[in-house]
Amino acid sequence: MIRIERRLEQPRRLVVVVPVVSIVVAFLIATIVLLATSHPPLHTFRRLFDAAFLANGALTETVVSATPLAFTGLAAAVAFRMNLFNIGGEGQLYAGAITGAAMGLLLAGAPSPVVIGLMMVAGAAGGALLAAIPGVLRAFFSTNEIITSLMLNYVLALVIDYLIFDSHSYLRETKGFEASVFPQGKKLPPEATWSSWTIHGLALPLGFLVAIGLAAAVWGLYARTRFGFEVQVIGDSVRAGRYAGMRTRRKILAVMCLSGAIAGLGGASQDGDFRHQLDPRGLTQANYGYTGIVVAALARYNPFAVVLVAFMLGGLQNAGYTLQGADFPAGLVGVLQGLILFSVLGGEVLIRYRIRFDRRPAKAEAAAPEPAS
Amino acid sequence: MNNSLLVVVLAQGVVYGTPLLYAALGELLAERSGVLNLGVEGMMLVGAVMGFWAVQRFHVSSPLALIGALAVAALAGATMAAIHAFLVITLRANQIVSGLALTIFAGVAGLSSYLGNDLNLAKSPARHEFQAIFPKSLQDVGVVGPILFGQSALVYASWACVVLVALYLTRTRAGLNVRAVGESPAAADAMGINVARYRYAHTLLGGAFAGIGGATFSLSITPQWLAGLTQGAGWIAIALVIFAFWRPTLCLVGAYFFGAFTYLPFALQKYHWAPPPELSQSLPYVMTVVALVLVSSRAARLRFGAPAALGLPYVREEN
Amino acid sequence: MLQTRAIEKRVAELSRRFGLAVDPRARIWQLSLGEQQRVEILKALYQDARILILDEPTAVLTPHEADALFETVRAMAADGRTVIFISHKLHEVKAVADRVTVLRRGRSIATVPVAEATLRSLAALMVGREVEIGRRADGLRAAGEAVLELEAVSANGDRGALALRDVSLCVGGGEIVAIAGVAGNGQRELAETIAGMRPLAAGAVRVRRRRLRGGDPREAIASGVAYVPEDRLGTGVAPGLSVASNVVLKSYRQPPASRGPILRLRRIRELAQHLMQHYDVRASSPQVPAWQLSGGNLQKVVLAREFSGEPAVLVAASPTRGLDVAGIETVHAFLRDAATRGIGVLLISEDLDEILALADRIAVMYEGSVVGERDAGSATVEELGLMMAGGEREQQ
Repeated sequence: MIRIERRLEQPRRLVVVVPVVSIVVAFLIATIVLLATSHPPLHTFRRLFDAAFLANGALTETVVSATPLAFTGLAAAVAFRMNLFNIGGEGQLYAGAITGAAMGLLLAGAPSPVVIGLMMVAGAAGGALLAAIPGVLRAFFSTNEIITSLMLNYVLALVIDYLIFDSHSYLRETKGFEASVFPQGKKLPPEATWSSWTIHGLALPLGFLVAIGLAAAVWGLYARTRFGFEVQVIGDSVRAGRYAGMRTRRKILAVMCLSGAIAGLGGASQDGDFRHQLDPRGLTQANYGYTGIVVAALARYNPFAVVLVAFMLGGLQNAGYTLQGADFPAGLVGVLQGLILFSVLGGEVLIRYRIRFDRRPAKAEAAAPEPAS
Repeated sequence: MNNSLLVVVLAQGVVYGTPLLYAALGELLAERSGVLNLGVEGMMLVGAVMGFWAVQRFHVSSPLALIGALAVAALAGATMAAIHAFLVITLRANQIVSGLALTIFAGVAGLSSYLGNDLNLAKSPARHEFQAIFPKSLQDVGVVGPILFGQSALVYASWACVVLVALYLTRTRAGLNVRAVGESPAAADAMGINVARYRYAHTLLGGAFAGIGGATFSLSITPQWLAGLTQGAGWIAIALVIFAFWRPTLCLVGAYFFGAFTYLPFALQKYHWAPPPELSQSLPYVMTVVALVLVSSRAARLRFGAPAALGLPYVREEN
Repeated sequence: MLQTRAIEKRVAELSRRFGLAVDPRARIWQLSLGEQQRVEILKALYQDARILILDEPTAVLTPHEADALFETVRAMAADGRTVIFISHKLHEVKAVADRVTVLRRGRSIATVPVAEATLRSLAALMVGREVEIGRRADGLRAAGEAVLELEAVSANGDRGALALRDVSLCVGGGEIVAIAGVAGNGQRELAETIAGMRPLAAGAVRVRRRRLRGGDPREAIASGVAYVPEDRLGTGVAPGLSVASNVVLKSYRQPPASRGPILRLRRIRELAQHLMQHYDVRASSPQVPAWQLSGGNLQKVVLAREFSGEPAVLVAASPTRGLDVAGIETVHAFLRDAATRGIGVLLISEDLDEILALADRIAVMYEGSVVGERDAGSATVEELGLMMAGGEREQQ
């Protein structure tokens, strides 16, 4: 009979060793799967690594894939740290993409820095406003935020589709031959193209840099400010938070809005950095929001780790797109990602708990006595 | 055959709604035991691909092949669910993350496509598919004909499942126990109910149902295998459970509601007036959010709300 | 398959026989507490339990419902079943039992037939005549100005019913007032109301003469209320956070713990180290998570923290629960020290020994009201015990 008991101390080395071992385990299982289906494992892994990081232009493409994941990963981490399960990052990103694109179009002709700055503000505002809905419902009506934020994802997906495919909204392109054949978003003006810096052939888009900056800011906020302290306390014990005089409901709303704002920024980044128009199909198929949650979990909700993990997963995604074709197993990227996730999730348990194999039946368990003074 | 818009939409609503119904019934069972499984889309796809594979391989008569294929699909779905179950029940991992991991692992960019590709399944259509059972003459009877009698065995079986699940939950001892587990695992545990066992059983059942739901696509609706065949039906099923307030009978209504609204845009193409399809499609979700807000008073939440322990791991000592 | 109709029939029959009126079709959340309790009893009867143990069953009942319960208990006994009825309320014991066993500190003191016992004799057994009055380390303190005043305070309990009824109390600076009583008579609600964790239904709470709105912990903290809750690990500390974080749990908003919105982590660590040293908290470092501390050490952290805010009032609810002798001594020293510094201490405790060793004045709570107040010098143990058990009520 397997018993799981809480560890009294968590050796620091475990926090690093276990995730690494988990990833190794994941690759081992993947190797078995590949062998069983007659694909050469080492060769496949090398091709993946190559396409993700080493090939010409691969790093740039990886950063492109990683940027949205960094935003949605941060958004999820910010909320999950306080046990607020905001799974509405998907919809909040769409909301930011909508408001960001609208702002970009509206400000055509203005100086570029202004446009870019206001796009960011608009994107963040869009995401924050959407997240406020499950936030208010949870803070003041005790409604489960998992369900409400999930539902709004569906709604926003439909809204974003509607704006381009089934309406003649401000955001939709109405001129030109292409537009009459296939609906698409209005192209954003050149002023709304976010800057990018190239170092040694690696293009670093503004969004990516903003995400890194945000990671630092979030880290600072949570580790060094009163706000962060309250988040830590409330995340650990709501009762203790109340006891200490903290305004728990306001905090819940604030954290949800912060989470939504970050995801919304990610949406604006999609418009300004990469797509240069509101692209419903692309956004809804990419599932950045849900993948972001996974990124956050792998990073154990640490902001800097989020960026790192986003980079890794971005590489994997990128490799997947690049290698799509007859001689590369389809769906391998998802399988690998899934295996890594499962292994890390399973390995987590070893950090917090100790597993014992016992002969005694469960009924003989007594409650752990309080350690002596 | 009555070709009026209403009839066609309703009939097609039943068709499109059936995979939703299966998957939703499964997810409903899992959630009633307190386990949230967001991996429905992945489980459906794996069920779809394995069911398709089975039907191509079984060299027996049509009904047997189809039943066998369904069994394989159910098994495949349950296997996927077992991963989630092990992680969240025994290892106490976060249910949201695990479910999402399952979707990624098994979904359109994952295992289901991997298998579909490696087993060369996209090449040909299904050897056997579920056809309408009743004779053409019945199908043409007035309004009801196409809707009720024009459906395949899968549809009728789904109705039976709704009844069975409803009876199970409300009228059997096991059903009572699983509801207790989902509302208050501590109380259930104190009464001697094995919380873990019930959660495992219902999560696996959820996977089996999802697998069958997926197979509905590959064996009936589009009798073919394509990567990502379900196109988000798994996600709709999750929403459907909430929309139905965790009741099987409302799942039926909701599934056809969602199914009809999905089909509506196609039907309306013939008529050039068309309120934006997204409007009708978003209606169910918006209604759900509104309903959830209204159901915020404690009494209403107890009557209509989620199982109280949904999404929370149960640890005996720490409670 | 559940035979719902047959079940309902059997439930209805049991209801009738034992006087447990309840609608078999009702949902639990629709029932009142009294009715829910009847369901619990029906559950036991349905499974044909031969022995029933009822633990303080009238805590949630109205007097009328309690009477109905006594009927039920007698009916069950007449039916040949055995009922073990646990209560600290003497009139209940007299009303329902044939024999009574008195327990104290885990020991069985005596078993007597109820017919032969009087309220006084039972109360005496409950508190024990061996407890001497005057077993104090110091003399009685004179109170300074009132720092905490409660005027006709009423508050609702967790389940909606009134838990505090018209409580009036006064604590002066530098004195220790003890609330004696068996747990469940409104003490927790009293502490929470003073600390702002529970809203007032009626009456007024004044700290340093200023009236509090109530229901706001921050307001209470700001006006000088320190609260050491009964539930250390669940409420008093954030168990997963470090000792250092818990030390500044209430003071993090001001210097030295923070400067503006930024926390000063080094100062916090120093603060924690200083407190840990001063109060001899045994832990390897201030970064250790709070749940790892032993009960005694944890309580030291809580007390140290509450002290450091220089409060006007210190409310301590069952502060020595679960502690060993050394721990108890430490807490008592804390409380005396607080009084010496002019803080008004409100000690809530079930332990008469502790109360008599520390308090200057003693108030007894029973069923949500203060049923009597005595100076520690003139209080007798029998009297207190009787009041605690509902044997005697005074006009306030």
